[in-house]
Amino acid sequence: MKDKIKTSVIGSYPTTINNIDIIYNYYNNKETKWDKYIENAVNDMTNAGIDLISDGQTRDPFIQIFTRKLKGCRIRNRTEIINKIEYDKPITIEDQKYVKKIIPENKELIGVLTGPFTLSKSCVDLYYHDEKKLAFDFAYALRQEAEILQHHVNMISIDEPFFSNQIPEYAKELIQIITKDLSCPTRLHACGDVSKIVEQLVEIPVDILSHEFKLSPQIFDAFKEYSFPQKICLGSVRSDDTRVEPVEEILKHVNKAINVFDGKICQIAPDCGLRMLPHDVAFQKLKNLVKAGEKING
Amino acid sequence: MFSFTKKQETFDISGIKIGGQPGMNPTVLFGGLFFKGEPDFRFAEKNLQNMYNLSKKTGNPAIPDFFIKKEEYIEEIISFIEKNIPKNYPFSVDIIEPSLKIQTLEILGKKNLLSRTIYNSIHVGITDEERKTLKKYTPEMAIIVAFNPKDKSPDGKIEVLENGAHLTDMGLLDIAKSVGIKKILVDTAAMAPGDNSGAAISAIPVIKEEYGLPTGCAIHNVVEKSKWLNFFENARKTVDASSNINIPLFGGDFAIFGPVENAELVFPIIAWQDILISEYTENYFGIAPSNSHPRRKLS
Repeated sequence: MKDKIKTSVIGSYPTTINNIDIIYNYYNNKETKWDKYIENAVNDMTNAGIDLISDGQTRDPFIQIFTRKLKGCRIRNRTEIINKIEYDKPITIEDQKYVKKIIPENKELIGVLTGPFTLSKSCVDLYYHDEKKLAFDFAYALRQEAEILQHHVNMISIDEPFFSNQIPEYAKELIQIITKDLSCPTRLHACGDVSKIVEQLVEIPVDILSHEFKLSPQIFDAFKEYSFPQKICLGSVRSDDTRVEPVEEILKHVNKAINVFDGKICQIAPDCGLRMLPHDVAFQKLKNLVKAGEKING
Repeated sequence: MFSFTKKQETFDISGIKIGGQPGMNPTVLFGGLFFKGEPDFRFAEKNLQNMYNLSKKTGNPAIPDFFIKKEEYIEEIISFIEKNIPKNYPFSVDIIEPSLKIQTLEILGKKNLLSRTIYNSIHVGITDEERKTLKKYTPEMAIIVAFNPKDKSPDGKIEVLENGAHLTDMGLLDIAKSVGIKKILVDTAAMAPGDNSGAAISAIPVIKEEYGLPTGCAIHNVVEKSKWLNFFENARKTVDASSNINIPLFGGDFAIFGPVENAELVFPIIAWQDILISEYTENYFGIAPSNSHPRRKLS
């Protein structure tokens, strides 16, 4: 029997924070709870019918979620590195535990980590003055998060958007620090046009490679050149465009991918995180993705 | 005691100077009125006069901070201001509810009171409507509350000033500037004990060194929220008033010291602290106290 192609998200989801509520809490000496924002994102994914759900990354942009809680970082307009990067305390674990409690049993959970290379490229380095050392220390810190995370999620996805611009020669080693011997499956998400770096990507020690196939269809041709062990998470709706792709269009795209990759497609997802899209557009895109998935799986 | 390397702004509102290097200008003291909601104007009148007398004696400028908690109080509180605050004196309006802020600004604008108004406050809860109203009815001065629910440390306070901690479309400083406010005071957002309460004090020199803006806080709020002090009820008022000395000690420029009736204790304590600081900063850094400084009142 053919394996089911699961519908997934990449990570972020649109959210509207009630700042008035936050300020009333401040004046009334109450802690602002983030649960409702996480719950809204999770409910949307669940109601759309997505199989692999994230926490929506509603707390912060994907860099600050991590740098806010790692030692050695100081948040300014961009994060500044002012000391050695070290793991201090769990970063995403409590949110994942909360999501696990509120999703139906038949849904799976993705733990999303922003990758060490992307973190190093996104910060202002006032301490290391050595991009590689900084990236490796981020990787060691993320490894500690991953070791806890693996017990609470069904898959860990590492988000490395900077790879499409510049993949370092140590990329494999870097990601391996995080993924080695983890008990749950792992996914590398690198958005952008990765057609020039497929040779390096297929060396990365993860179970699934996830890319923006919808925005950058040239990636199909680039992958044809290689045989590789990983499965594919197929970007199937755009995350940078408010046009909602009709189900038929998604089906055509997925069928093309199935022909190219011959059984390697294990997930279909948006091209990237949906944070920047209007809420109703993001939800409709997920719904159409699920409808397409249902037709593909029969 | 210390001196900042960053140039320090001193802002003037109706002759009161706020800001500068430690030891230069006296600590400005904001006394709260009508915090409980319904205004008691007779009580307020008496306490206001007492605060002004203490200000005259000590040299520490007094600014009444009017809480407005219901729509029906707006007109009567503004009438009270017109009648009881000397024509060349500033005052602040301390309002949480956005719709009340908007209505109050409109009335202050129509009554030509904005040049004496300190708007308390701009924070992450600012609405689009409030921004539009502030552009149309721009107060002379505004207090930014650097409260960051994501990070209550001094760094978090800088973050919310810089970029709104991704809760607003731009940093709180840029928001204030975008609506036309030129004289900005930074309130370091005091938190409850056990919730990084000390950060409101430690953030003062950090923010002054970063921006050079007049900075202070309502450290009274920390004392007010303390359950521990229930064991020492007799000491509560003393602890409350004396907590304010941390503000000038850490280079701060203003204290929002709680109910106006606390003025009796707060003014002499702060004046005394200002004198101690001035004696050191003049000797060591050459910062001469201004003419109205409490140290000039020593005889």
